[in-house]
Amino acid sequence: MKYIHFIITFILLPCVLSASAEQVLPNEGNEGTDSWQKWGPTTGLNGGGFIVRAGYVLGGTTPLPLPAEIRKINEFSPRGGISLGIDAYRMFNKRWGVSLGAHFFWEGFHTSADVKNYYVWLEQEGEVTKGYFTGTNVTNTEMWGVTIPLLATFRISPRWNVSFGPHMSCYFKQTFTGEVYDNNYGIGYLREDTPVGTKILMSREKPTSYPDDFADNMLPLSAGIEMCFDWKALRHMNVFGKFDLGLTNIWSPNFEAISFKMYPIYATIGVAYRY
Amino acid sequence: MNKSSIVAFVVIPFFLASCVMSEKENTECDIEEVSLHLDSPSDYFYHDYDTLKSVISTETNIVFIIRSYADVQSIPTTLRITNGATVYTVYDNGTETPFLNGSSIDFSDEKVNKFHVVSQDKMWSRNYSISVVHDKPSDGNLFIDFESYYLDPTGKYYVWDGPDFFNDGTWKNGNPGFKICKSSALPMDYPTAPAIGAGPDGSDCVKLETCDTGPFGRMANMRLASGSMFNGIFDVSNALTNPLKATQLGSPFIHKPMQMRIWLRYERGLVFQDRNGAVVNNVLDEPDIYLVFYRNEDALGNKIVLDGSDVLTNPNIVGMGRLPHHFNPDGSDQLSNNPIHGVTDQWQEFIIPIVYTAEVDPTILENKGYSINFGSASSWQGAFFIGAVGSKLYMDNMQLFCE
Repeated sequence: MKYIHFIITFILLPCVLSASAEQVLPNEGNEGTDSWQKWGPTTGLNGGGFIVRAGYVLGGTTPLPLPAEIRKINEFSPRGGISLGIDAYRMFNKRWGVSLGAHFFWEGFHTSADVKNYYVWLEQEGEVTKGYFTGTNVTNTEMWGVTIPLLATFRISPRWNVSFGPHMSCYFKQTFTGEVYDNNYGIGYLREDTPVGTKILMSREKPTSYPDDFADNMLPLSAGIEMCFDWKALRHMNVFGKFDLGLTNIWSPNFEAISFKMYPIYATIGVAYRY
Repeated sequence: MNKSSIVAFVVIPFFLASCVMSEKENTECDIEEVSLHLDSPSDYFYHDYDTLKSVISTETNIVFIIRSYADVQSIPTTLRITNGATVYTVYDNGTETPFLNGSSIDFSDEKVNKFHVVSQDKMWSRNYSISVVHDKPSDGNLFIDFESYYLDPTGKYYVWDGPDFFNDGTWKNGNPGFKICKSSALPMDYPTAPAIGAGPDGSDCVKLETCDTGPFGRMANMRLASGSMFNGIFDVSNALTNPLKATQLGSPFIHKPMQMRIWLRYERGLVFQDRNGAVVNNVLDEPDIYLVFYRNEDALGNKIVLDGSDVLTNPNIVGMGRLPHHFNPDGSDQLSNNPIHGVTDQWQEFIIPIVYTAEVDPTILENKGYSINFGSASSWQGAFFIGAVGSKLYMDNMQLFCE
């Protein structure tokens, strides 16, 4: 049941993206083989080719589902990302094909969340501070990398493709910075070790920052699934929307500072050129 | 921006927000404040404000001090506790019944009343005791040899017994704050530690040392911790947000101090650094010893407690004695390369007279209207996290002479 929100979104997002095209589809379906060929691969119905894609990425990294310690998301703003990539595709017949791509991306996000009793465990040069934090937690992340999707493609209509399949991402650079301080009600403190431990107040005048090397605990590889909708706007130009969900925790398994798993989740909207 | 991206912009945050789970029950179980309700508090207490006690997170023995001749029986009491928690009265036979705010507690014969606070989620609990004790007559002339010390309940650092009139009868220092930064430190590595057999007479003395606070200290921009000894309260909750306010300095005292004598020895750390850790050339670190006597109540009856920000400047100060230093024309501390404190690496006894700038009213004095604060530091600017790591001030055999 916890994943129901995710499933709904997963279905909703592509549906919304496709909503505008739905009205066009019945007409196109009646146009016959000519239309399938006209909007098809470079040669006939079962050819192959390349698609060069450029898109705007928005999304971030989030625990799924959100743990009960997160009480309120104050802000969630993507730090404008871009994606540039190329797909090689091959259609086997009128409907089905496969594609393999390499999409270079830069993406980022900023979040501010109110948390309650959020377990933190920080180790720095052998010194450990741990306990339960209540207050506001702000994080900023940026990631540079490449995603390799291997997708099955289905032609819904002459101008409308949907692709779905696994992807792997490799990160060249990751940053993860943040700070903790009091929330809008002035409540911000750490209970050292346990909820009955020493109370240490935090304030936004003197926020406590995450350690500089936090991102070193992020794994350089992730795997997940991708779904991509392409609409052939012109003979050689597509408009596309794709959705990527990481299914592997971004944190190294022996990293204890964050007590829950976090997954990359992002959407890309862009244009593509078909060769 | 096209329609799709607007939709995505809307959908993703909505998706995240819709995932917020129902709130878990509270896990904390503190008594935050205790107030006693009396028709005429001044018959019992030295100050009206003494009927209310804020309880810091590390305190579990709550003690109210009343006049030596006052006779109390049952007092209606209010406890402020963590939201959702439940407080129980614990009887001698171990049974517990919920405590109702405003009900009377029997404080006769200095009875120690026990309470058990259970968190809303029932997973955590804390035990407290509350008592009302009579003020003990204190001798004004003191001799303190710092020989009575022991590990605190966490076993991380040492605590020294002080005169009875000190808050909970112990000396305070920054060790609880250092513990937050340096979890790996051993008791002897703390800024305030005993020095066994190192006193001028071959007995134990106290060593104050300016220590590096490590990676967490750098994160909080508090790169060093000066060794210190003072009387009052160290509220470690404020150690990060407002370290100067974390020290609530002084204890009410019914004698007029005239002179302090103390044996001192100093080893100066070599590299003087500013708050950001940058080396400051041509400045030498200095130790500090001072005694401040101040009026602890304003004209409206409000409590006055000095803290690290005003311990040497508050207008309520009536008398003071301090090791010599250079000062700027505006009275502020002047860093220099030719200190005049006179403390060397050989033991010497220092005589510090208390100089009065205002009259001490004998009636107010008798009624605990003045507080005494003794302060010491291995780096005189340590409260601002400025000094030289490795500066060591050894002190022993302190004497106080009163009028």
